[in-house]
Amino acid sequence: MSVLEVKHVTKTFGHNTNEVTVLTDVNFTAAAGEVSLVIGPSGSGKSTFLTIAGGIQTPTAGDVVVQGNGLSQLSGKARDALRLNRIGFILQAYNLVPYLTVKDQFALVDRVKPKGNLSAADLRHLLEKLGISQLTNQYPAELSGGQTQRVAIARALYQNPDIILADEPTAALDSERVKVVGQLLHDLAKEHNKAIVVVTHDLRLKEFADKTYAIMDGKMTVA
Amino acid sequence: MFLALKEIRHEKLRYGLIIGMIVLVSYLVFVLSGLAYGLAQQNTQAISSWNASKVVLNSDANDSLSQSLITKQTADKVKLTTHEAYIGQAGVVAKAKGQAKLSAQFLGINQSQFIYKRVKVTSGHKPVTSHQIMVDDSFKDNGYRLGDKVTLNSTDTQYKIVGFTHNAKLSVAPVIYGTLGTWRTLSHVTTAFQASGIITNRDNFKTKTSDLSTLTMSKFINKLPGYSAQNTTFTFMIGFLMIIAMVVIAVFLYILTMQKLPNYAVLRAQGIPAKVLVTTTVSQALILVVGGLAIGAALTLATVLALPAGVPMSFNVPLLAGVTGGILLTGVIGALIPVKVILNVDPVSVMGG
Ligand SMILES: Nc1ncnc2c1ncn2[C@@H]1O[C@H](COP(=O)(O)OP(=O)(O)O)[C@@H](O)[C@H]1O
Ligand SMILES: [Mg+2]
Repeated sequence: MSVLEVKHVTKTFGHNTNEVTVLTDVNFTAAAGEVSLVIGPSGSGKSTFLTIAGGIQTPTAGDVVVQGNGLSQLSGKARDALRLNRIGFILQAYNLVPYLTVKDQFALVDRVKPKGNLSAADLRHLLEKLGISQLTNQYPAELSGGQTQRVAIARALYQNPDIILADEPTAALDSERVKVVGQLLHDLAKEHNKAIVVVTHDLRLKEFADKTYAIMDGKMTVA
Repeated sequence: MFLALKEIRHEKLRYGLIIGMIVLVSYLVFVLSGLAYGLAQQNTQAISSWNASKVVLNSDANDSLSQSLITKQTADKVKLTTHEAYIGQAGVVAKAKGQAKLSAQFLGINQSQFIYKRVKVTSGHKPVTSHQIMVDDSFKDNGYRLGDKVTLNSTDTQYKIVGFTHNAKLSVAPVIYGTLGTWRTLSHVTTAFQASGIITNRDNFKTKTSDLSTLTMSKFINKLPGYSAQNTTFTFMIGFLMIIAMVVIAVFLYILTMQKLPNYAVLRAQGIPAKVLVTTTVSQALILVVGGLAIGAALTLATVLALPAGVPMSFNVPLLAGVTGGILLTGVIGALIPVKVILNVDPVSVMGG
């Protein structure tokens, strides 16, 4: 069942002579229980695609439908609520709040969204799987790049979203960790029926994907 | 509140500095308002204690009691009831054997009139003869005792302190109550002059004599020498300090907010409502201001306790509430400036790459 549909999305930045088209008539569908991988080089429009799919950026043309809701029809508040409750973002940078310990990154989610998050046991399990359970009292500044990325992944999964949108989630990870993260995303899709969209230039993730797309100069094709 | 507190705890130095600024500003505001209020009181305490509503002065006196002289002839044209009283004012220097000289305000009053009756005695009794005086308690702090013989100005006549009264200050000097006869002596005028002015406690008091002008107490007080100049100065200083507090808080919070924008953008991307972030900033401002105010108030209290009794600093609840409320409001206004930035934060700005 498709939970996320990107329909004829075009995105241009700038005006007149400065106008650049970053996405051209992109069509894409993500289904529950599947990992979709979008592979493309730097500058191909991956992040733009993902942010439009997650409703933090509006397309110039076309629309995004999340679980039956056309995003262009929703108010800003409703889109916030949708992201908070249904969509988990794993962003490329600045994922963690610098003045919160790892533990408090999760506590913050509890404050804003008191219901529907992972249980304490599930969270412990997740942190162990990602190899970061010993880091709960550390501040982000005390973590390595790879540790930060894994905490950010855990943080996004903690909200227990139906849809997970990940932007280069393995950029800072070694091959061992890539396998762990890839397997984790795969298991989430299979065992918890999540729809998972990963945009990356990391070909190592290919083996965990159900569907793979290629994006090049803003045009998406099924690989 | 969660984010606000966590951040303050993590960034102790940063927020410590802001609190330090607020402590200093609120301390200054407290001390200045205490001084302003204390001085204002010492200008007017004696007058307030009479509970009067109007003052009648010579119309050429430019609304100043010390410049006013009312002749007996003019005074006789005013029909006095139990609600009116003559008053004669003279600036004096009091001196007793073995004691320091004290500048004071001599007020001559009539024993059968209402001011004499309203003045409260803290020890001893009210003067009954023209060689007796009753003085403000601050004479006590300067070593004067009941029964001391005092000379006023350079005359040789001795006046005996027969009573003390509390909170009797006029134009920031202690008051000496005596008779109108003594006032004439001190002012070098004859019995052709009745008094400096007439005080009434009737709101509707009127006189038809063009030689006299009647003014309300509040107008009279504002015309006391230096009184409104002093108040204006203090009001200006306090107002400016409030504005400084506001600018400091606004600037700090603005800079901090600008630094945090990437984090805020991520939180917005994660669906955390802008309201939460705005609440965080405003509650942070409140925590900082309340903390700063509390420490500032404690410092003020310590200062008050450490200061000698003569320093005219006093507080009352409306004053404290006003100052505290003012600084709090200032903090909130300061916090509202970065709010616009927070509301406009663009989650996409941190996508990058
Ligand atoms: N806000 C913007 N204004 C102008 N150009 C942008 C903006 N955001 C992205 N771009 C451009 O769009 C292209 C695709 O960017 P992006 O989606 O970040 O690519 P990727 O994530 O694949 O590296 C880049 O050339 C980038 O410079
Ligand atoms: Mg990117």
